[in-house]
Amino acid sequence: MRLLKGIKIAVILKIVLVTIALAVLGFLMQAALLAGDTQIGIFFGIAIFLIALVYFTRISIPLKFFLPGVLLLATFVITPVVYTISMSAYQYKTGNILSKPEALKMLKSNDAFAQVPDEKKFDLKLGWCDEKYGDPKDVANAPVCALVSYYPDNIYFLSTATTLTPLTRDRIIFNKVGLPADVTKVGAKFTWEPFYEDEYATFDKTIASTRFKYSKPGTFMQAEGYSVMAVYAQRIVYDAKADTFTDIKTGFVYKDNGRGNYANTKNGKDVMYPGWREVVWFENFVNLVNDPSVRDPLVAVFIWTCIFAVTTVVTQFALGLLIALTLHTKMRGRWIYRSIIILPYAMPSIMSIMIWGGMLNTDFGAVNNLIGLIVGHPVHLTWLTDPTLARTSVLLVNLWLGFPYFYLISTGALQAIPAELTEAAAIDGASGGQTFRKITLPLLMQMLSPLLISSFAFNFNNFNLIYLLTGGGPKDTLSGQSAGATDILISYTYNLAFNKGTQNFGLASAVSIVIFVAVAAISLYGIRRSKVLESFV
Amino acid sequence: MFSIKKVAGIAAALGLLAAGAVSVPADARVKAAPKILTVWADSNRAANLIKAIGTVAEQTAGDYVAGYKINVVGYTGFDTLKTAVDAATSANGPDIILGANDWVPTLAKDGKLAQFTLSSSAAKNFTANQLGDLSYSGKLYGVPLDINNVAMLTNDDLTTVPTSFGEMVAYYKANKDSAGLTRGLCVAGGGMSWGAAGILSALGGSPYAMSGGKAKITGAPFTVKTFAQNVKDQLLNVDGTPNGFFTDSDSNCKQDFIDGKVPYAVIGNWEWKDYVAEGFDMKKLSCVPGIKVNSCGAGFGSVSGALLTSFAAGAGDDNAAKSFLNDFFGSAQGAMSYEKYEQRPPANKAAAAIASPALKGFGLAASKASIPQLGTFLNGGAKDTTGLVLGTKAAPGTKGANVPTYWDALPALWSALVSSDSTVRKDPTVASQLFANIMAANAANSVNN
Amino acid sequence: MIFLKWFLTKSWRHAIAWAVCFFALFPLYMIVLTSFKKTTSLQVGSFLPTGFSLTNFNSLLTNPTVPFYTWMSNSVIIAAFVSVVSVFIGAASAFAFSRLRFRGKKASIQLLLLIQMFPAVLALSAVYSIMDRVHAFAPSIGLGTIGGLVLVYLGGAMGVNIWLLKGFVDSIPIELDEAARVDGASPMQIYWRIFLPLASPVLAVVCLLSFIGTFNEYILASLFLNDPSQQTIAVGLHGFISGQFATNWGPFAAGSLLASLPIVVLFLSLQKYIVNGLTAGAVKG
Repeated sequence: MRLLKGIKIAVILKIVLVTIALAVLGFLMQAALLAGDTQIGIFFGIAIFLIALVYFTRISIPLKFFLPGVLLLATFVITPVVYTISMSAYQYKTGNILSKPEALKMLKSNDAFAQVPDEKKFDLKLGWCDEKYGDPKDVANAPVCALVSYYPDNIYFLSTATTLTPLTRDRIIFNKVGLPADVTKVGAKFTWEPFYEDEYATFDKTIASTRFKYSKPGTFMQAEGYSVMAVYAQRIVYDAKADTFTDIKTGFVYKDNGRGNYANTKNGKDVMYPGWREVVWFENFVNLVNDPSVRDPLVAVFIWTCIFAVTTVVTQFALGLLIALTLHTKMRGRWIYRSIIILPYAMPSIMSIMIWGGMLNTDFGAVNNLIGLIVGHPVHLTWLTDPTLARTSVLLVNLWLGFPYFYLISTGALQAIPAELTEAAAIDGASGGQTFRKITLPLLMQMLSPLLISSFAFNFNNFNLIYLLTGGGPKDTLSGQSAGATDILISYTYNLAFNKGTQNFGLASAVSIVIFVAVAAISLYGIRRSKVLESFV
Repeated sequence: MFSIKKVAGIAAALGLLAAGAVSVPADARVKAAPKILTVWADSNRAANLIKAIGTVAEQTAGDYVAGYKINVVGYTGFDTLKTAVDAATSANGPDIILGANDWVPTLAKDGKLAQFTLSSSAAKNFTANQLGDLSYSGKLYGVPLDINNVAMLTNDDLTTVPTSFGEMVAYYKANKDSAGLTRGLCVAGGGMSWGAAGILSALGGSPYAMSGGKAKITGAPFTVKTFAQNVKDQLLNVDGTPNGFFTDSDSNCKQDFIDGKVPYAVIGNWEWKDYVAEGFDMKKLSCVPGIKVNSCGAGFGSVSGALLTSFAAGAGDDNAAKSFLNDFFGSAQGAMSYEKYEQRPPANKAAAAIASPALKGFGLAASKASIPQLGTFLNGGAKDTTGLVLGTKAAPGTKGANVPTYWDALPALWSALVSSDSTVRKDPTVASQLFANIMAANAANSVNN
Repeated sequence: MIFLKWFLTKSWRHAIAWAVCFFALFPLYMIVLTSFKKTTSLQVGSFLPTGFSLTNFNSLLTNPTVPFYTWMSNSVIIAAFVSVVSVFIGAASAFAFSRLRFRGKKASIQLLLLIQMFPAVLALSAVYSIMDRVHAFAPSIGLGTIGGLVLVYLGGAMGVNIWLLKGFVDSIPIELDEAARVDGASPMQIYWRIFLPLASPVLAVVCLLSFIGTFNEYILASLFLNDPSQQTIAVGLHGFISGQFATNWGPFAAGSLLASLPIVVLFLSLQKYIVNGLTAGAVKG
């Protein structure tokens, strides 16, 4: 009876939770579709279908456990990974970051016309006017109508996209600062009404897209805010059929160069910006191999990354194990030692890294001060600016960050080794060292190898440490070095992608695929060797 | 179960809603809720702009732009702001950015900025150079905000304002031990590339050669031999080791200066109040003196600008943003209300009246010598196609390498000249030549930018 | 004689322990020392405290542009939510991988492991543009919101702690499951009624580790959350020492101290469980 009641509550709870999830997702799907994002809408649709299928039928029991994780994984890990991989086939860098339609839209609206230099900048008051209906409040039919004026020359007129109506000064009502504010009515035939305050905001897009008529042929006016009207002329004409831009003045033709820009047909270097991201297939990978300025730093960085990751794991494990062995006996104050030793692990590492950065400063850092105290005279060791010392610093700080973890797991592993094994060895006459080498260590390695591998994989991509401690430096910038002495693959690639000067997402994506393949291959080899997957399968 | 009453009530409500949606009101000009114009800035500027215009909650719609309220978003630092701007998209991008003039070229190329025009009355408030600084290939992208520069402050408890570089070095050498000086001169504000430009210039260097107010795109930026000799004379001992007067690090400069451990410091015009609070006299501001008596090292005089983004048009805020730029930052009244809190020298001529004595000191230092901050020259982008720019001894694979930007190259030059680490140091002539090559290559490349 | 024996067997142990403790404590001592100094620099005149001042705490807590408490609560909310949900998802996955039989198990776990090795930082721009699109129709979970950041963090929930959990699941005797199955319990019931109660201590530990991991995340949080009032403590504090114009080590140290104190205390008080939890993952019982 009790069990039955429990099941009932569980079933109800399940139905309620799943229904809520479906409702939320359904709402999001609707919102996405309404906003015109069909891809994401479809994704939500699939998610809804899967959830309903999995939790309301008995189609697959394992999926009941996996589905929430899988959905999140697919959205925020797999999709970005696939996207990143696809970006490696693109010319995608500073100047080429938009899609082609976006870039074309910008070129047509922003680049295609230029202000006429000698023309006046008029005062502007926006409103509505309509000759046909005589009712300015009938917004549906009334066009946006600009009251344009230049009072020093007594020029006043109304302008819409299609009409231009000159006004005499006596029709104008001026405000307190002497600017035109309204137009007097002449019967019901013709009227103009200024915008309400909030209409400026509401009709911003209409105003921005309106080319107001101007008296000189070949020119038009555009609102520059709510109070300025400027005169523009077409500078470049877009030919949709040929997909080319033609400069009216010079006659140069700009054609899609297949690399994400419209380029002058007579001078390939003369390109129009903004460009767009364009498919260049394997060019980024070819550059990785062929372009020595990309390839050589990458090789050096790859080697250092491997050294860094391996040395880190070895030193962290060695120190952790040493302490574990040291404290693996009853001794006074052991719990105090343990509490202190795990402090670096408990402390949020991001703050520790930044503090270490300050402590390793050559001029005022605590490390140099301490060494100075010990040796008796001030020292100026350049911890972060000398290549060798900087590498040492990175390893040292990482040792500090990681050894407590290995201490903890080594302690646990040591406790799990049956005492009989070591005792038996001792009886057989093995020395302490022999027992350790022949029995304890192999057992430890067997137990801890999955953790060692995951630690290696983690450090291979230990971005935070490098980015926050040395920023990848030092490097000989004057000689054109693009990778610093402590740059690991991920920090080097991050700089390629997100550098402040010029950014190259396409190349960075290509490099990240290389990193992925490298670390996956190494780890997979380790996993196969250590047979850790066996327990799963 | 749901009661019939409830269902009926909901149905009625839905019906009413539907009726409301399809029925056409007599006057289609319905009052809309105010829209929001978003401005991104670093936290200092954001705080001051909020002081000037109030928070969104404090504003009434239409205070500054008809139908709008202005929301100011602050970023913890200037670099953080730039990162956010680089990553901004039409979904989250702001309408206006308060940024540096050298951001304009790349942001314009990436399609993140939109061109706009100042009204005649507003344009009169700015110089052609200032507007040029915020333009790219002939189009204006923002309103000049204020002038950023640095000047050298002398600790007058220790010594007097120097008239030549040698005078400073001599003072440092004579008093290094007795006064416990850590350095002679350091950069407290603006960093080792932007802030240290005046020191580079005082020693005879320059990021680009200037002629008639314009930067030259061909030829050497400066005479390498003279510069290297000056470095040897002023910054190095006879044996080539640094004499400690000037180091390649700006860390702790501000504190050391305040503590009296550094007699001369380059400080920024945004932080002078910190020094006044410590009892320093702003009359002791000067330029970094050059080698010749009464000559001046030229620092950057750059304008920061309120930049119009292309996101504004996408969000339907284009004209509102233009109005705010023109009517607030472009007008004397608006600029003054902001600079009252910001306390930098306003770019707006009409607002210059509020300048304090300290700002006049900075202005004076800038007026004696200053160079424009040209993003297309400074932000790099050149490739070393010949392998000659970066020297034949450079790391393998230098040929075709990206030429570093000024921002990376100058700190590296300082390290090559005066690093305390002998492995980092290079021969002054070689290092100076590399730096000159880099700047010349970037200048030549600026045509492509 | 006793002393000699102690000296030979124990003293070297104490010597090593002392040395390691010194190494572990040195940076932490610097944080404490700096935060109570009067100046904002990290410079040390002397390693002994020369004075006691709360200036740095004042400038951290009273500066209106530094919403320290908001940063702190943002971090705690994000980390708490992420850790609880991700442990839940991770536990379900680990249970299924360990106890259920299905086709393609080996392939899927290998895939899961491999996916984890993709350098996540580099997929940033893709995550960014996805959340950017989400923002267009669901502003409360899109780019620039804490909700959106939490979702992105949860993307890795399935794989991150799977090693720890898997080790623990394996250590729970399978006989219990089988007994329950014989009694007619479904896998769901076994999971909820037998596995979860047994696993709760280790789940708590994994939860804490996941909490710390999320608390430490920097890059994603710094790119994702624009508004200073939404930032996390790691991003906020980094601003103090990365500023173009000034480095304020004092307030940074004070902030680090305040921010890490609760975590350190929690960690130390749960020490025993953490050690057990970590080693359960590593060492099969």
